[in-house]
Parts: sequence; C-alpha cells; structure tokens
Amino acid sequence: MLSDDHVNEIIIDKLIASLIPMTSRDRIKAIRNQPRTMEEKRNLSRGGLTSMTENEGRAKALDKEKSKQTHRILQLNCCVQCLNSISRAYRRSKNSLSEILNSISLWQKTLKIIGGKFGTSVLSYFNFLRWLLKFNIFSFIVNFSFIIIPQFTVAEKNTLQFTGLELFTGVGYFRDTVMYYGFYTNSTIQHGNSGASYNMQLAYIFTIGACLTTCFFSLLFSMAKYFRDNFINPHIYSGGITKLIFCWDFTVTHEKAVKLKQKNLSTEIRENLSELRQENAKLTFNQQLTRFSTYVMAWVVSTGVAIACCAAVYYLAEYNLEFLKTHSNPGAVLLLPFVVSCINLAVPCFYSMFRLVERYEMPRHEVYILLIRNILLKITIVGILCYYWLNNVALSGEESVGDLLKVGVMVWVLNSVCFHRIIGMQLITSLGLPEFDIARNVLELIYAQTLVWIGIFFCPLLPLIQMIMLFIMFYTKNISLMMNFQPPSKAWRASQMMTFFILLLFFPSFTGVLCTLAITIWRLKPSADCGPFRGLPFFIHSIYSWIDTLSTRPGYLWVVWIYRNLIGSVHFFFILTLIVLIITYLYWQITEGRKIMIRLLHEQIINEGKDKMFLIEKLIKLQDMEKKANPSSLVLERREVEQQDALHLGERDSSLDLRFRRSVQEGNPRA
Amino acid sequence: MGNKQTVFTHEQLEAYQDCTFFTRKEIMRLFYRYQDLAPQLVPLDYTTCPDVKVPYELIGSMPELKDNPFRQRIAQVFSEDGDGHMTLDNFLDMFSVMSEMAPRDLKAYYAFKIYDFNNDDYICAWDLEQTVTKLTRGELSAQEVSLVCEKVLDEADGDHDGRLSLEDFRNMILRAPDFLR
Repeated sequence: MLSDDHVNEIIIDKLIASLIPMTSRDRIKAIRNQPRTMEEKRNLSRGGLTSMTENEGRAKALDKEKSKQTHRILQLNCCVQCLNSISRAYRRSKNSLSEILNSISLWQKTLKIIGGKFGTSVLSYFNFLRWLLKFNIFSFIVNFSFIIIPQFTVAEKNTLQFTGLELFTGVGYFRDTVMYYGFYTNSTIQHGNSGASYNMQLAYIFTIGACLTTCFFSLLFSMAKYFRDNFINPHIYSGGITKLIFCWDFTVTHEKAVKLKQKNLSTEIRENLSELRQENAKLTFNQQLTRFSTYVMAWVVSTGVAIACCAAVYYLAEYNLEFLKTHSNPGAVLLLPFVVSCINLAVPCFYSMFRLVERYEMPRHEVYILLIRNILLKITIVGILCYYWLNNVALSGEESVGDLLKVGVMVWVLNSVCFHRIIGMQLITSLGLPEFDIARNVLELIYAQTLVWIGIFFCPLLPLIQMIMLFIMFYTKNISLMMNFQPPSKAWRASQMMTFFILLLFFPSFTGVLCTLAITIWRLKPSADCGPFRGLPFFIHSIYSWIDTLSTRPGYLWVVWIYRNLIGSVHFFFILTLIVLIITYLYWQITEGRKIMIRLLHEQIINEGKDKMFLIEKLIKLQDMEKKANPSSLVLERREVEQQDALHLGERDSSLDLRFRRSVQEGNPRA
Repeated sequence: MGNKQTVFTHEQLEAYQDCTFFTRKEIMRLFYRYQDLAPQLVPLDYTTCPDVKVPYELIGSMPELKDNPFRQRIAQVFSEDGDGHMTLDNFLDMFSVMSEMAPRDLKAYYAFKIYDFNNDDYICAWDLEQTVTKLTRGELSAQEVSLVCEKVLDEADGDHDGRLSLEDFRNMILRAPDFLR
C-alpha cells in the first residue's frame, strides 16, 4: 500500500532525474524555486542522496533501487566536478559583485525604510524620482564631456559682476558662463599644429541629439515593459475584490501604517460592495439629466478657467518684455515665474472644490478626472509659453530665449520648493485635502522634467540643476513624510498609475519637447553674434555644411549616401512606416487569437469541474445503493476504492478526493 | 568577505547560498538576527548542526512580523512542525521567500499556504472569512464579510467546486501586478 511518504519519495526521485541533465546554473535556479524546506533542497543539490525519513523501515525497502540511482548520479558528478567548481567560483564572484553594487546603489536603505513605513505606492513615487535622476545624470555626463570641457579649453574671462540675485534669475553673471548657449564658440577648436580638430557646432547638435535619443529609447522600453506587465488581460479577469483581499502588502512593517492600511482596505471593500449594489439601482431620467448637466457645466468652467489663465500668462509675458526693456530692475524678471507658480498652486485647489458639486459613482473616477484637468492646465500653460518664446525669438535673440527658459525652470523651483513647503502645507492641511498626494507629486516631477528637456538645447547645464533639485526634493519629501506621517489616504493601484505616468511622460511631454526642438532647429534663425551657430541661416545648416565637406572626401562617401538616400528621402520613411504598421497589425492579431484561446481553456476548466462533480455524484449514488443492499461488505469496498485512487501517481488530489467526496456529500443540497 | 566566520563550515554556507536567494553576507546577517532573538538558546557554532528551535513568541516579536496580521500563519507555514517554532533553516527559508529576489510563482505558492488556515490544500469559505477578518480587523460586519467571501468565490473559483485550489489562486494572483512586490 502506498502512503504519502512513498509518493513523496518517488516525486523527489523524478525531480532529481529531471535536474541531472540541466546546467549547474539552471539546476541551482530550479532548486531555489522549489517550494520545499531547506533540508530537502540541500539534499536535492547534493545530488539526490536519500533524505532521512522518520520511518526508516519503509525507506530500507526501497533503498536498493535508490542506491543504484545514487551510484549513477555520483558517477556523473565525479566526471563534471571541476566544471562544477569553476562555475561555482564564477557564481560566487557574481554574488559579491552584486553585493557591492547594491551597497553603492543610491538611497537603497532609505527606500527600504520608506517602503516599510508607507507601502509600495509611496515607494513608487520615490522610485520614479530615482529613475528620472538616472536620466539626468546620464545627460549631464554626456553634455559635460562633449560640450562643456572643450568649451572650457577656449573659455574667455568672465567680466560681469556676480550678485546673489543671479541664483534666482539666472541672468547677469551667468550669461557669460557655460550655462548659456550664447557663450559657446562656433569655431573649430584646434590644439597644436597637427592635433585633431573638434567641430563645436557638430558636437553641440550631436550631443544634444544623443541625449534625447537615449531618453527616447529608454522611455519607450520602460513604457513597453510596464504596459506588458499591467495591461495584458484587462477584461478577462477583472477580479476586483479578490485582488484586494489577496494582495496584502507584506512589506509594510510599521504599526500605524498597518492599521491605516487595514482601514483603507475595509473602506475599499465597502466601496466595492456598494458598487455591486448600485449596479442594479437605476436612476430616473430627471436624475440622469441633472447629473449630466452638472458634469457639462463643471467641464465648461474648468476649461474656461484654464483658457483664462493661459491668456493671462500670454499677455503678461508680452507686457513683461516691454516692462523689462524700459525698467532695469533685475528682480522684475521674477514676475512671470511668480505668477505662473501662483496659477499652478491655486487652480488645482479650485478644481478639487468641484467634487463638492459633482457626484461620481466611483471615487476612482473623481481622481482620474481631477488628474486630467490638472494635466490639461499644466500642458496648456507650458504650450503657451513655448509658443510665445518661439515667436518672439526673432526680436530678442537666443540670449533672452535662454533667459526665459531658465526662468521656466525657476518657475518650477519656486513652485515646488518654496511655495509648497512653506505656504502650501499650512493651506492644504487647513482645507482638509490629502497630504502626500502621489498623483500631484508625480505630475510635478514630470512637469519639471519637461522643462529641462525643452531647455537642454539652450542651456546644457540644465541636467545638473535638475539633478540638484531632485536631490533636494528627495530629502525634503522624505523628511516631511517622516515628520508628519501622512501617507496617502486614498487606496492606490501603484503599478497601474506608474504605467499611466510613464505614458504621460512619454506622450505629451517628450513628444512635445521633440516637436518644439524640431521647430527650433529647422525653422529658427540663430542669433548673429553669439552661440556656436552664429552666422548660419538655420541651425540645421551646420549639418548640411558638414555633409558637403564630407562629400569631397572619398573615404566618407557612404555617410553622404546614407544621409541623402535614407535620412533625406521621403520614400524610405514611408516604407519604414508601412512595415511597422504591418508588424503591429500582425502582433495585434496574435494577441486577439491568444485571448480567444484563453477564454476557451477557461471554459474547458469549468467543464472539467462539472464532469468531475457529475462522476463523483454518480459514485456516491452507487455506493449508497450498495450500502443499502449489502451493509457488511461496505468497509472492504471502501478500502479498495481508496487503493485504486492512491495508485494514480502524480495526481496529488488522490488522497484529497476522499475529503472532497465528504465535503460534496455535505454540500450536496447546494450542488 | 573573507573566511573569518566560525559559525558555519564552508560547505554549510555554500549550501545555504545555493538553496536561498541570499549572498553570504546576508546569510550571516540573518543568522545574527536569529541569534539575537534568543541568545541563550542559539549557539554561536552551527558546525555541528544543533537542533535548536526558537519559540513562536520570540519570532512573532520581530519588527518585520510584529504588526503583520498574518504573522502567526507565516510562522506556522514555514516552521517544521506547523506550530510556529522555527529552526535556523526555517528562518532562512522564510526570509528567502519573502525577499524581493524570490520569483512570483514561489511567493504565490507560499501565500496560498498562508491563507489556507485549516491546511487542507484548498482555500474554502471558512479560510476566506478568517483572511478577511484578519485583514480588516473587525471593521466590517459579519454580513459584509460573508458577502465578500461569496463574491471572491464567484470571481476566482475556476472549476466551480466551492473553494479555491492552488491553480485558481495562482490564476487570479499572477495577473495582479501589485502582488507581493
């Protein structure tokens, strides 16, 4: 008669047999992933020596068979022992390398503490911040090595005076430093008579281009990865409540945080249950009409406010320019950023007042609508400012474009560092709005990063400023969280929101920046007396003239060919787009096919379950009939049935079928 | 990073490294935490493989587990005899599975065992009720709790046998991107 232990032994032997042909790396991975106790795993890794079971008697009976197997296994091990030890040494060194990398990874310990106290949703904000920081570090390093260092070698002396106000306004002393595009030389730097020459114009364009291209590709890949993880089957398994129940965040360790989480969970469960009840409740026509009209009115008001703000900003910017021309007060430059910061602070608060008027069925929709309104506001303001700068460059030259762009960054600085910290916290707490609003904070980060990307062409040191700002922001947010302990009060789906934010970062933000830059490079006339592109009719002419020089050299004709026929021709891009569209369509069809297959398999599982229940009911009926006919032989037959069932190896639920039968009997009226 | 430690033999430490997701330093750190829980019980020399179990009360007082509503189940699942008293092997196993390097499959398996209060390899309605009560700590009424359990069984029970098997659980959970991150 076979028992659980014996079944277990046979399963282990099968496992060992399957592990032998694997490479040692795969074997270790497979062993680690086994849901077994440490002792069993150790035995597996030693190559299948028999584990000491408690019932030695039973084990001895099977020892002969097993010893043959072990002998074979030991022989194999002897042959590949040196290979094993080499791979082991390699794995050890890889482990120690990853240890070192972990210890120097930025803020690793702080992030763990934050995750423990506040949960994964707050942690995702800080992870996003760290991710943006990596972008900026990379851009800074590239810019520094290829643009700034060569510029330093031919730098002229700075004759302007330095006053403290420059740190805020960014003009004055800084105008003649590497911060500004205007400072860069347009010449070809050459050291010594036979030294290699360094064309500053090309270096400038190509470096900025390289930064942005890398950002583009890494954004694309991150977005694809998040998308794949989170939106594979949105409609098949909605499983709202189940996920709530089973996705308890085990990383949260602080007592208050746990209590808060429990409270949040119960609130969400209640909301979910009420959603269920409300699904059946229907509103009367009048109620629907009133609700619809409130929505429409709210949207009209919010869009109206946004447009009014944009118009105000535009006229202020124009007025500002004239004001600056007539007056020479350096502090006056701060007027525009001040106004934009106030708008960015006050209008979102105003938008959140709408929730008193509008009633949504699900609180989640409220959050989304608020987010969308805020995003629209910010995008339109940035768009208006860009439009204004691009149109007015002809009047004032890129020096002031650089100024204004630097001003844009200062907008963000004032917005987040000063106002939120000092004034905002008091205001917001008194209004009773949530403290650490993840959505708003992430939007701020995205907004800032957009400004940096816009400005990077005119101020190559912007990534450095952004880096410093991100550092400061990390520590201030951290400290304010620890001191106030106000984690977000609304329950949150961390990873879905992250996907949404990265999508936001990519789509309006980065593509907008690319469009602006494209317009700048192809359509704007560089200023005539400063900057690396002085004297050219358009920025892009630097590339044209480079291609022309190359075409005179026989060794580089292939570059010219690529430029003229691939990058410069429309047909190539047309064909490329067609191919990409076709591939996308094919993948989409494959996904659809897989969805259908999943649905069919799911139905099959349900049918199998029904079959099983039917057969078992039949079996019970037969047993009952026999019980009535022959009460004495009942016990023997039961045992026979047990044995037959237990012989089905590999089916774990063999011994559990008995229990199942019992429970089915209990639950028979329901079935 | 050297071989200066005297707690384990070289082979023992290597075996631990092979069987868990931890590096040598992390294993030593975990050992010292284990030792700190019960300094009189746990010897500083494990080369002779002593049979030492730290009682559940001390394990449950660790800062990582102290406020976790499922700490008792976690200790029971990972302990050898299911009573919550853990040897060093169990301790390392527990942390290895809960670490961020463990694959989701493995975590799903153990999460299933944690939520299975009566250890019958299925999550039945009673198990669900226990889970929900522990999660919400008495905030929901009894009627709401049973409503929730009904809804969960509706959503997740794939083969419609009135309880969740490991496959049902896995199906549901591995689609949730927030699971045990």
